[in-house]
Amino acid sequence: MLFRVDPASAVPLGDQIAACVRGALADGSAAPGERLPAARELADSLGVNVHTVLRGYQRLREEGLIELRRGRGALIVPGATAPDRARLVSRLREAAADARELGLTDEEFVELARTSLA
Amino acid sequence: MNRARPSTPDTPDTPGVPATPATPATPPTPAATRRLRALAAFPFVLTLIGYLTLLTVWDDRIPDTLATHFSGADGGRADGFTGRTAFTVISVALLLGLGTGWTALVRRTALWGAWATAGFAGALLVLLVRDNLDAVDPARVVSPLTDLALGATVATLCALAGWALTRLVPAGEGADVPQGGPDAPRLALGPSEVAGWSRATTSRPLTVLAVLALVAVPVGLVVAPWPGALLALLGLVVGVPGLALARVRVTVDRRGVTVRPSFVSRPRVRVPLDEVAGASVRELDTAAVLADYGGWGYRVRADRTGVVLHSGEALVVRRGSGREFAVTVPDAHTAAALLNTLAERHGKV
Repeated sequence: MLFRVDPASAVPLGDQIAACVRGALADGSAAPGERLPAARELADSLGVNVHTVLRGYQRLREEGLIELRRGRGALIVPGATAPDRARLVSRLREAAADARELGLTDEEFVELARTSLA
Repeated sequence: MNRARPSTPDTPDTPGVPATPATPATPPTPAATRRLRALAAFPFVLTLIGYLTLLTVWDDRIPDTLATHFSGADGGRADGFTGRTAFTVISVALLLGLGTGWTALVRRTALWGAWATAGFAGALLVLLVRDNLDAVDPARVVSPLTDLALGATVATLCALAGWALTRLVPAGEGADVPQGGPDAPRLALGPSEVAGWSRATTSRPLTVLAVLALVAVPVGLVVAPWPGALLALLGLVVGVPGLALARVRVTVDRRGVTVRPSFVSRPRVRVPLDEVAGASVRELDTAAVLADYGGWGYRVRADRTGVVLHSGEALVVRRGSGREFAVTVPDAHTAAALLNTLAERHGKV
């Protein structure tokens, strides 16, 4: 899987790493069940702090896209729905960014999301 | 196919970056050309026709049972026998099998080998039948050692003929084409962007083999009688490196290409970015694996090294020294594109 981060970008590096995994999962270049490189190794590879990578992995775990196992590294969740889930998360994040741009507060956005569920 | 540029919705591409499309410029799969294959098949066809003709001509002189194995110690006296029909079937199948194998796997530089093989096999078969002609008792048939010498002579002459015919195949046909070049894949990378590619790849047969070898160690030590049981320790010799090779992680980043076992960081094989002259993708099918690397595993050849774990896509790295390093890994195209871009940025390509 290709990881690309831009330290000059305003987006936090951890988020950029998470976006790489999400994108790779969505476009099929990473498969469900695939093992991600160990955080330390990826940090070495990209020349970033290991905590930065862990922050990215943690975010992906919260989004339900990867499993983190102590000593066994990070694993993309197995199952055929993982790519769709990655796409869904990406769209949600885009929507959240749009909402911010429109000047909505976080509460208003969440309320809006809840309304669309009803 | 947009793999070289994964969508990163959170990080829009830096403006001003030349938008190089992900080039699907995979070099043509190296395969022997039709002419090369024909030249490899030809000696076998010739041998087969000659052999079958002789069998027909000698039809009433060939006994029902042929002496087919001879003891070297006993002055070439026969000690193994085959029925006539079985012998005919086996010998023809042998020629067909060798011919098919050579035709499928031939490389330009090995064309002489096809000719030598055909000559040697054909000569030995014909001499064997000749020794059996008019034999009343197959046990009394003698195959003199000169048969082997004669076979070797024929093989040498055929090898020379095959070698001479090699010039009919233009260099560059077959698998000896160097890979990579100016049209090698690239990846659009912003000036401040940092990129790394990492992928795990596994070989199931090798995993099974290695685990079996490791299991054999305690089982052998307990079950087998001493001191023969110590042979079981050989399982460690096969199992440990086997397991290390069965699951590897391939990384392409600012340091170059690294291949190491999935679970430990050593031992590893690395081509530093300094030494990378170019990267490309090659589709390695079974025939190409056998012809270029002689099998699977960690292979070292005169001009190439390879971690060849399965058939399929391989990342091929050309070193500055002209040597090649290959590793079979899925999504090798992205890896090659990134490696070319990184090497270029490093000021080497």
